[in-house]
Amino acid sequence: MFERLAASSLFVAVLLAAAGPAEPARRPKYGGTLRVEIGAVVSSLDPAAVGTAEESAATAGIDSLLYERRNPEGTYAGVVGSGPFRVVQFEPGRRVVVAANDNFPGGRPYVDSVEIQMGRPPHDRLVDLELDRADIAEIPPEEVRRALERGMRVSVGLTDELVAIVFVPGRPFAEDARAREALSRSIDRPAIVNFILQKEGEPAGGVLPQWSSGTAFLYLTAVNVAAARRLWSEISGSRKIVLGYDAGDSLEQSIAERIAVDVREAGGAVAVGATKPGLLANEDARFVRLRMTSPQPRDALERYLRSLGPILGANADPVQGATPQQIYDTERAIVSTYRIVPLVWLPEAYGVSMRVRDWKTPAPGQGWPFADVWLGDAP
Amino acid sequence: MTFRTKLFVVFMLALLLSVAIVAVGVTAVTRRAFQDSNRAHSEALVAQFEREFERHKQDIVHRVQGIADAEATVRMAIDLSRPKADVSVYVNDARGVSESHQLDFLDFASDDGSIISSNESPARFGYKIDWLAQPQDWAALGAFLRKVDTQDGPAVGLMSVSVVRVGDKNLYVFGGERLGKDFLASLVLPSGMRALLYLNLDPSFEPGNLVDESGPVTDGERFATFIEQERQHPAEQAFEIAWTSDPANRESFHTLPLLGRQGDLLGALLVGSSEREVVLLERRIILLAAGVAAMGLLLGLLLSWWGAARVTRPVRKLAEGARAVSEGNWSARVEVRGRNEIAQLAIAFNRMTEQLSEQRERLVQAERVAAWRELARRLAHELKNPLFPLETTVENLQRAKEQSPEQFEEVFRESTGILLSEIENLKKIVSRFSDFAKMPQPEIGPVNLNETVRGIVKLFEAQFGAVGRPPITPELHLEEDLPAIQADEALLRRAIENLVLNAMDAMPAGGVLMLRTTHENGDVDLEVSDTGTGLTPEECDRLFTPYYTTKQHGTGLGLAIVQSVVSDHGGRISVESESGVGTSFHIHLPAKPPVRSTANGE
Repeated sequence: MFERLAASSLFVAVLLAAAGPAEPARRPKYGGTLRVEIGAVVSSLDPAAVGTAEESAATAGIDSLLYERRNPEGTYAGVVGSGPFRVVQFEPGRRVVVAANDNFPGGRPYVDSVEIQMGRPPHDRLVDLELDRADIAEIPPEEVRRALERGMRVSVGLTDELVAIVFVPGRPFAEDARAREALSRSIDRPAIVNFILQKEGEPAGGVLPQWSSGTAFLYLTAVNVAAARRLWSEISGSRKIVLGYDAGDSLEQSIAERIAVDVREAGGAVAVGATKPGLLANEDARFVRLRMTSPQPRDALERYLRSLGPILGANADPVQGATPQQIYDTERAIVSTYRIVPLVWLPEAYGVSMRVRDWKTPAPGQGWPFADVWLGDAP
Repeated sequence: MTFRTKLFVVFMLALLLSVAIVAVGVTAVTRRAFQDSNRAHSEALVAQFEREFERHKQDIVHRVQGIADAEATVRMAIDLSRPKADVSVYVNDARGVSESHQLDFLDFASDDGSIISSNESPARFGYKIDWLAQPQDWAALGAFLRKVDTQDGPAVGLMSVSVVRVGDKNLYVFGGERLGKDFLASLVLPSGMRALLYLNLDPSFEPGNLVDESGPVTDGERFATFIEQERQHPAEQAFEIAWTSDPANRESFHTLPLLGRQGDLLGALLVGSSEREVVLLERRIILLAAGVAAMGLLLGLLLSWWGAARVTRPVRKLAEGARAVSEGNWSARVEVRGRNEIAQLAIAFNRMTEQLSEQRERLVQAERVAAWRELARRLAHELKNPLFPLETTVENLQRAKEQSPEQFEEVFRESTGILLSEIENLKKIVSRFSDFAKMPQPEIGPVNLNETVRGIVKLFEAQFGAVGRPPITPELHLEEDLPAIQADEALLRRAIENLVLNAMDAMPAGGVLMLRTTHENGDVDLEVSDTGTGLTPEECDRLFTPYYTTKQHGTGLGLAIVQSVVSDHGGRISVESESGVGTSFHIHLPAKPPVRSTANGE
């Protein structure tokens, strides 16, 4: 309950902070280019293209903006969606520029264009924001506190991204339920949230966030060293669980190292390593990030089951109904296998420059509200 | 081996022995000196390490104290002293602070020892360092060695603890430097020496924990025994490792245990000293010594040769003098130089040869007198026999003339017949003596001695078995492949016949006459033996003296003639006899007689 209240309070506070300081009502202004920097890298604008969770989200975000698409040489390529923008320039993996669609049925966007820089490192995004070289920049949750301390305007959304560990099918530990449970019980999730995420996030015991399912508080997230020790002692052999993390993801690396410490303190052994292709082929478990594509728990759960099917195997039962109890039962069934070990929920966070007006952090499943944003004068 | 060669060899051996003793002594002393030097180097390095270690300790204490005294740390301590302080704000602080203060390890820990921020293990936030919160005067303790858990595994650090106290709450600053290759690289080592560090992080010896300034040591397994010994009994020790069979690749090590606060062994410093320089220097010295020794030996060889020649020259002269004397040169003398023992010996030699010469002269004269006396005796004896009938016959003639003139004619005829007969006897006697004096020169030609012997035996066959006398049995032992020799067969035949006749005379009761021929290196030997009455030693001594005989009617010239023939052929004759057993004559004849110079020099 405390966690739910804390998250709600935080959400309200963030929304208030994102709205900016109270000022007299003014009429929105048209024109200008909104400069946006994100960490994801989009190599194709096709929403059906397979990519990482982050890339898919970014692709979906961009796609939601689009109404029509033009060829690289600028010629008209046809209507592709119902969005307020059209692509005028796309450099895969680096940059995409969309221009306002004057014929958008919902009305022309305020800004003339939006320039999205992709693959920018977090540090560079913060610097660009501080130096007014960017208007909106994605901020990793663990950097929110520092950004606030530096006086930046930060917009934090709902916790909609689950960071979890999944066991790789076929590996020895994937079939050892005690090892999976021992690993789960060894992890001090609150410490991860408090220290690594600097309190920007929530410990995750289930696969649905509290604000969506309302039952997340029923899952224990605190470390249970006694149970973990008992389980580790029952596991024969001294082999370490090899936990792989994305080599380019510092957050996963930090969490992995903390898990290694927690497991060692509980009497187990985990070896961590980066999972660049060909770098770590013998991983027993790896990190996975699951983003809520819908605020509806049933929709989110079904999407999870589709993506986690190969990992969950026979335990991937479809959601039997839409009642909270049925959803909870399905979620419990998934979690109790320990084939997926939820760790933390991450919020979406953006740094917003002072000249950006009417910015609202998008809710899960919603696209970027660039069409509603207008650019005012910098204070 | 000549005396000079022996002397030379003795000189050389003495020289070699001296050089060897000096070489061994020099090598041993040199090696000892180098070993002492090496040991001193190692001890100096260990002392240097200890000083360096102490300096590092002070430096670590100073740097950690500097962090504790910093404004940011004090503010952190103040912040954390408040109720419900948020420690998560400081979770990343240790990294930046440690980098700015160049520390490998840095932890901030709260009053209960919980880690707030850790540089070496950032993920350990929240966990407690129990020993840190225990009562301890950290300032007095200074820096100490401690095992530190890092993300990459355990390590050993030189650590220090400083405390920032705000109110009743402590903030612990725990930092230090990693002991590893960087630490070793900071040590200044003399050439040929290196420092290794073993970190005692595993339950048993682990080669990967042995590092030098460039990283893990190759062939670290070679240290297993010594490290294990150090682990069992931490103490300073010394050992040596031979990396290859070449002594130049030996390396000696001095081990210094590194102990933690509780006396637990956290590591060991190994100061290695290569013996390459020492061995190479030793080899250079040995090479130089060998060169000098070789030159000395060469010089010694020449000097020994010269010295031996100089020392043995008088001896050689003495030997030559003695050889000349032995060859009959009684006038040989040795030159006398100096007054040493050799000179005394030369003087004595000269005096001895003079005395020998004088005695020989006297002996020759005595023998000559004895020979003349013997000759006179024999002549008197030979001549006295015919003279007595001559005298009696002449007296018979005078008596017949005076007393019986009628019978004188008859007596005269008989007497003149007797006189003529005796005069003939006298002529024969004179003729034999004349023949001995006129021995002919040998006429040399190839002679098969076996054939000669067989011919003589055949000639005497009738006499061996003559009626009225006991038989004599001839036995021939003639070597079949006897080589021919250069000799005068007629003279040899005469000499051998003489010996056979003597043997027959020596066996009046019969017996066995044995003739044997043998050869060696082309020379031949002839033995003529009988089983007769034998001779006394005195008779043997005088047997070849002219006119000496043991027979009633002998002239005493037979064996003298035999010896003369043998001597003319360059041979020699000897006799062995035993009374009652028999007598054996041994004749040795060379394959070719020596060229004899004639009176006129031909």
